[in-house]
Amino acid sequence: MGEDFNTDSMLDMFLYESEQLLENLDNTVLEQKDEECFDEESINEIFRVMHTIKGSSGIMMYENITKVSHKLEDVFYYLRESHPENVPHLELVDHVLEVSDFITGELEKIKSGETPDGDESKLVEEIDKFLTKIKTGISQKGEELPPENTYVEPNQFYIAPTGSESSKYYKVSIYWRDDTQMCNIRAYTAVYALKEVAEDLQYIPDDIISNEESSDVILEDGFHMLVQCQCSKDEVKAAIGETSGMDRVEISDCTKQEFEMGFHEQEEHPIIIELDEKEKVPEKKPEKKDPAPGDYVIKNKETGKSKKLAKNQPKQQPKQTYISVNVEKLDDLMDMIGELVISEATVLQNPDLKVPGLELSNFQKSASQLSKITTELQDVIMSMRMMPLTNTFQKMNRIVFDVSRKLGKDIELEVIGENTEVDKNIIEHISDPLMHLVRNSVDHGIESKEERLAAGKNPKGKITLEAKNEGGKVYIIVRDDGKGLNKQKLYDKARANGLIGNRAMSDFTEKEIFQFITYAGFSTKEQVTEYSGRGVGMDVVVKNIQAVGGNLEIDSVEGGGSEMTMKIPLTLAIINGIVMQVGNSTFVIETNDIKEFVRVSKDMLVKEPDGEEYIMLRDECYPFIRLNRRYHLDDSKAEIEDGIVVVLEHENKNVCVFIDQLIAEQEIVVKPIPSYIKKVQGLSGCTQLGDGSIALILDIAGLIAGEEKK
Amino acid sequence: MSEELDLMDDLDGKEDSQKGMFMTFQIADECYGIAITFVEEIVGIQSITAVPEIEDYIKGLINIRGKIIPVIDVRVRLKQTPREYTDRTCIIVINVKSTTVGLIVDEIAGVITVNEKEIILPPSLSQSNTGNSKYVFGLVRVENEVKLLLDPEKLIRDEDVEALEEAAPTGEIAEA
Repeated sequence: MGEDFNTDSMLDMFLYESEQLLENLDNTVLEQKDEECFDEESINEIFRVMHTIKGSSGIMMYENITKVSHKLEDVFYYLRESHPENVPHLELVDHVLEVSDFITGELEKIKSGETPDGDESKLVEEIDKFLTKIKTGISQKGEELPPENTYVEPNQFYIAPTGSESSKYYKVSIYWRDDTQMCNIRAYTAVYALKEVAEDLQYIPDDIISNEESSDVILEDGFHMLVQCQCSKDEVKAAIGETSGMDRVEISDCTKQEFEMGFHEQEEHPIIIELDEKEKVPEKKPEKKDPAPGDYVIKNKETGKSKKLAKNQPKQQPKQTYISVNVEKLDDLMDMIGELVISEATVLQNPDLKVPGLELSNFQKSASQLSKITTELQDVIMSMRMMPLTNTFQKMNRIVFDVSRKLGKDIELEVIGENTEVDKNIIEHISDPLMHLVRNSVDHGIESKEERLAAGKNPKGKITLEAKNEGGKVYIIVRDDGKGLNKQKLYDKARANGLIGNRAMSDFTEKEIFQFITYAGFSTKEQVTEYSGRGVGMDVVVKNIQAVGGNLEIDSVEGGGSEMTMKIPLTLAIINGIVMQVGNSTFVIETNDIKEFVRVSKDMLVKEPDGEEYIMLRDECYPFIRLNRRYHLDDSKAEIEDGIVVVLEHENKNVCVFIDQLIAEQEIVVKPIPSYIKKVQGLSGCTQLGDGSIALILDIAGLIAGEEKK
Repeated sequence: MSEELDLMDDLDGKEDSQKGMFMTFQIADECYGIAITFVEEIVGIQSITAVPEIEDYIKGLINIRGKIIPVIDVRVRLKQTPREYTDRTCIIVINVKSTTVGLIVDEIAGVITVNEKEIILPPSLSQSNTGNSKYVFGLVRVENEVKLLLDPEKLIRDEDVEALEEAAPTGEIAEA
């Protein structure tokens, strides 16, 4: 570190790391929320996460985070060491999530430069109560408490409590073949396995976890354990099991005295420590010493070896390595690559090459190689901006869990295709709308248990979150099997709120009626709940989706459920557009917005006395915009017959735009208009054409809105 | 012009040595200066894409190596009569508080080094917010020629915004 040591980067690291850890934590917890209890691996995982956060927040001096994480760590230490039964699982899940929320909140504060001043005492107290509860639950059943999560001297071993006169004592020695690697870890696996059956055990070498060199010692001398237990030799042997590389296992009886002597005569007797601790237990306070280097349990876990200890774990996939890069740098790189493509074109189509009779075959070969590389470069930079939806979807998991619990509904969330990749910018934009849709489904869509039973449905509701790639767009679907939308109700409501005037219900198609819920000021939920139904909502959702060039489709079967489909473009950065010219200016319109191009004759043009113009096309009347007049462009065609009319469609609204001529259809890289220039209505961005010149991208929604305002 | 470009390259990365240096340029009959710390690069005039419905002094957008930046015609901004661009017309790309803007000027004059003490404040009479003087924060005499030192922030900022924020002094200008 040296001079690089500064708190800023440390803080960044702390925030980044903690966020990652909490995200993992949430996922782990939510994965198992429906189980009876956490499995061993998750308990270890949660313990480890809390321990790390406790440590790092301690270093950063965020005391409240330290306290809370410490408390939860205590709980999981207890769970891990004594495997208590009848732990109220949901309550535990709640506590973990509360802690996670609390810390996330504090991290947010730190990020925005505030002091993390959240009050942790209530949370700590609650968890404390919970811990006491599960502990007393155990003691009442006459079982004994495990030692507290205190710092244990490195040369004393983990001591499993309980003991009785009928205990048997064995000396166990395990020898590995000479070529075996990481004997210390294998030895620990054996210790771990024996802990299940043993009442007490000691082993030598005693530093197998913290000291990797112990591996060599074990290879040389074998690994020796003294075990106190109730079972037979064979059972002990079975518990140790066969692991690869194990040469032989020797188990011999020994006496209690021998056991108590341990491996080191001078050592303080382990049993005494155990008793000491037992005495402490009843009035134990949630005080725990800070972790020290010898805290062997953690040390092992932190190096990511915990997987080896858990039995029957599927092999972990090799980790992918990531590097986080500032998006700005990626944008710069993309700019440069765009520029490279243009330079390439200017070189390869250089007029100097067009000298007649020039022998260019070698040049052409190199040129095609160059083109190939630049194309690939473009693909790579595009793929770098793509991110899977996994994280976004996992957040939904949490929302479904929280909201459904609070509403007392039992809901299962199914996630399909979370690996679908979308441009990072888009992910940022759809997170909120998606959250809203999911909340809506939980709150309004899925009925209460009683209603579901009455309707003959499975009392457990189901929400499906699906993502897929189709036709250059990403579909994100939120589907529920709830009560669906009632068309009549929607229509009545829309009418009562004056959203549709006096039009009859038969004027609307089914889909149009469903779209009512996206109108501003429309909320069918009579009662405003904490989660939805505030009357703002669906219209905001739709606006957000439209902001990234997407749309929302709603489908529903009454009594059978609803389906909300967000269709969003794969990337914001590249669109397919038609390049066209008006006067000296070049414009681009997104291909998807264009319905058709027509040549219009004078008699199709209808002119109102106030100058407003319409186009009659196949007996339909369209509003007409002359781009040249709208934007005061010189040198453009004035006669309708000389130019071309483009029919545009946006959200079921049509508009005709008059332009001089079409140039080409091409993929264009969308860039924002520099913020220095104030927003011009009808323009959404600009782009660079193949020759380096700049074209303006027309925003149809803005054009229409501008026209309506007049 | 290549001379200036070379000079710019030399200065690159030497913040301290840039102190008191001004890039000077000609608009009509006057010579103006702008603190060199703001200057990113100088490019020749190139095709400008007009953007409709914007202020008259903003000529449009240009493309510099994939970056699209707006350009201001300083002549128009300083209320001079516009004229045709020639091959001496240059665009000075400046960066003020992370806004990148190109300034179209008639001609680049050169780089001058000015001692802070030599800068004369504009006479108080003209300090009212009219005419050119609102963009000029100081005058300096170099070899019998008076150069007007421009405050780039005021130069590129919108009048309305300026009027709004006028109450609060805009603080640090060129550190010359």
